[in-house]
Amino acid sequence: MNKNKKSLFSFGKSVNSNADEPCVNRREFLSKTGKIALGASAVVIGGGLFSPESFAAKKIGIHGNATLLKMARDIYPHDTLENKYYVKVMSPMSEAAEKDSDLFKLLAEGVESLDTISVEKFDLKYVDIKSESDRVVVLKSLEASPFFQKIKGALMMGIYNNPELWPRFGFGGSAWEKGGYINRGYDKNDWI
Amino acid sequence: MSAKFDLNDDSLVVIIGSGAGGGTLSNELAQKGIRSVILEAGKRFTFDDIENDEWKMFGKISWLDKRYVEGPARIAKDFPNLPAWIVKGVGGATMHWAGVAMRFQEHEFKMKTTNGTVAGANVLDWPVTLEEMAPYYEKAESKMGVCGTKATGMPYHGKSSHYKVVEEGAKRIGAKCEQANLAINTEIRDGRASCQVNGFCMQGCKVGAKWSTMYTEIPKAEATGKVELRPQSMVLRIEHDNTGKVTGVLYADKDGNQHLQKARIVAVAGNSIESPRMLLNSESSMFPAGLANSSGQVGQNYMTHTTGGVYAEFEKPVHMYKSTVVPGIVHEWKDNDPSRGHLAGYELEVLHLGLPFMSAFLNPGQGGWGRELANSLENYDNMAGFWICGEDMPVESNNVTLHPTEKDQYGLPVPVVYKTDHINDTRMRNHAYDRSKELFDSIGALKVNNLPPYPASHNMGTNRMSEHARDGVVNRWGQAHDIKNLFVSDGSQFTSSGTENPTLTIVALAIRQADYIADQMKRKEI
Ligand SMILES: Cc1cc2nc3c(=O)[nH]c(=O)nc-3n(C[C@H](O)[C@H](O)[C@H](O)COP(=O)(O)OP(=O)(O)OC[C@H]3O[C@@H](n4cnc5c(N)ncnc54)[C@H](O)[C@@H]3O)c2cc1C
Ligand code: SF4
Repeated sequence: MNKNKKSLFSFGKSVNSNADEPCVNRREFLSKTGKIALGASAVVIGGGLFSPESFAAKKIGIHGNATLLKMARDIYPHDTLENKYYVKVMSPMSEAAEKDSDLFKLLAEGVESLDTISVEKFDLKYVDIKSESDRVVVLKSLEASPFFQKIKGALMMGIYNNPELWPRFGFGGSAWEKGGYINRGYDKNDWI
Repeated sequence: MSAKFDLNDDSLVVIIGSGAGGGTLSNELAQKGIRSVILEAGKRFTFDDIENDEWKMFGKISWLDKRYVEGPARIAKDFPNLPAWIVKGVGGATMHWAGVAMRFQEHEFKMKTTNGTVAGANVLDWPVTLEEMAPYYEKAESKMGVCGTKATGMPYHGKSSHYKVVEEGAKRIGAKCEQANLAINTEIRDGRASCQVNGFCMQGCKVGAKWSTMYTEIPKAEATGKVELRPQSMVLRIEHDNTGKVTGVLYADKDGNQHLQKARIVAVAGNSIESPRMLLNSESSMFPAGLANSSGQVGQNYMTHTTGGVYAEFEKPVHMYKSTVVPGIVHEWKDNDPSRGHLAGYELEVLHLGLPFMSAFLNPGQGGWGRELANSLENYDNMAGFWICGEDMPVESNNVTLHPTEKDQYGLPVPVVYKTDHINDTRMRNHAYDRSKELFDSIGALKVNNLPPYPASHNMGTNRMSEHARDGVVNRWGQAHDIKNLFVSDGSQFTSSGTENPTLTIVALAIRQADYIADQMKRKEI
């Protein structure tokens, strides 16, 4: 029946779900490429092996980067989407922070407040909170901050405005060079 | 061949803005042999600049000068500096527009007569009737190439998958639904291509199938040798003499150098935020409240249509993006039937957004993140939806004013736009949300998302037409009540918003206004 609603409901209850684990219930999304998302510890990017340490802008540090990545996945959680797509958004920001002290301050202090609130509320650092809904509680309390909004904005562009990902969301992108859809199925619908 | 006129030539019509109103007026005048200069703040784009990419085109052609949104409505929070989504460029918002071209209904020209006084609203009849407008609507449909009309004989676009889904839902709940009358060619016509269904109408039509003054009226006007278009020319103020007639227009070119173009007649067509702003900025000792503002109505009664979005998620693919942006309209509730709990009517316009814009508009603002939103976006390909477009009550306090201290890059006070719902708007929107849900539920929607209004694409009413000078800014011809040789030629003339998208009416009014200007010039009245 209503698979989508089910997974929406279960989100609230599944306290132990880990956002990094591919959710088998997600329909088509995964099957579109057939690839399986790797865990947070190692991701193939640009042919090479990539670990959170290497996005690594040294100044932000391993813990900072890991926190930002976790946060990124929590903001727009697509369980079957590989880490590299989130890293591709976060990494340039961390790198820029090496030289841009205002940005560094924004990110470093943002990570710090995430942890402070996490410890206050759940007695754990942000990355160590197992339940997504608990992490969401922490994020929600920072939602209005420039730190959160900057990362949210960058992710919205990096995920949903990323032509490489459009086929996986079922969006066709630029069509004029292919002659549009006039002869490519604009009227096709086999279920209504 | 484009003309070239001297700054001191005071025999010209100076038209400010090259969009639906200004672009059309220039061509209509040119065809009658009347010479004009068009001053356009934006650049001149070409087909090469048009891309099938939502954010790139938004960044390239939008009007992004500083503006403020105020008021308790959610838009002021979600988009504090972007009250309207419109264009700075030759062609104005006819580059972005989706091409929906419908005539007003008879009662929409007389809302005061129809419903009487509405508490908290500033409702007025138009000094024009549908009967008078009919021949001009016919001309506009023919000029713009509106499919599905007698004027063109062009067939509708074929039914896209997105349309079929909505049509079936409408059928099941007994609501009227038809393919949209679009100013988009379904045949090669007027030297322009037929639509190939790229689905990016709102990013500018790459093949020119959709009418836009950028590549129809403007080049046609220039070809007469009677028109000079000056892009990147931002009008700062309109000058007048001591008899109170306007005499010229001060503008800044792309390098910031100021020029004064003399004029016999000035026509303002900068869209409904900039047009009143220009009049207000032109205040003088003779007109301390701004030009043409003896009624105090310049900048007031700002209307955007009562809008919102509804996107339903289904089990199976709809691939709504494989369609003209607006393939159809649910017309059931467009009449004025107070028994619904609101005055005036609305339409549900089947409309798609690409994934990038859907991610920004599904739940705009700071709180638009998290799993529910992400899950819906994973269902992008299975979505079908509407943009609600209903009549918006004119409310005096919904207005465009000048910021008391802050200036923009031209040194002009930044415009402040105050816009919030009249209770009728809220009731209408809720009615539309409910009917939309019924419609989508009837065909098995898994989830129905309601979207709040996004930055206004339809902007109207800030220099409204009225029979009496005390109630409005311009008369039935768009001529300022206070100043004979000053005209308003864009959507800011609207006395009320109607249910229908505004552009066909803007174009019909511009054609009619050109007849009047020509006649008055001949009689030496102006
Ligand atoms: C995304 C989108 C979709 C739309 N879809 C539809 C639709 O389907 N159907 C419909 O009827 N309408 C639609 N519209 C609305 C339609 O585009 C507008 O109603 C119409 O273009 C308004 O015409 P106008 O002449 O008032 O202003 P515009 O067409 O906006 O033209 C105003 C011009 O004036 C210029 N200007 C402003 N100030 C100055 C100045 N000081 N000096 C010099 N130049 C200046 C601007 O740069 C601009 O080019 C849509 C709009 C958008 C943005
Ligand atoms: S769908 Fe048609 S009108 Fe719209 S952009 Fe494509 S070709 Fe142009």
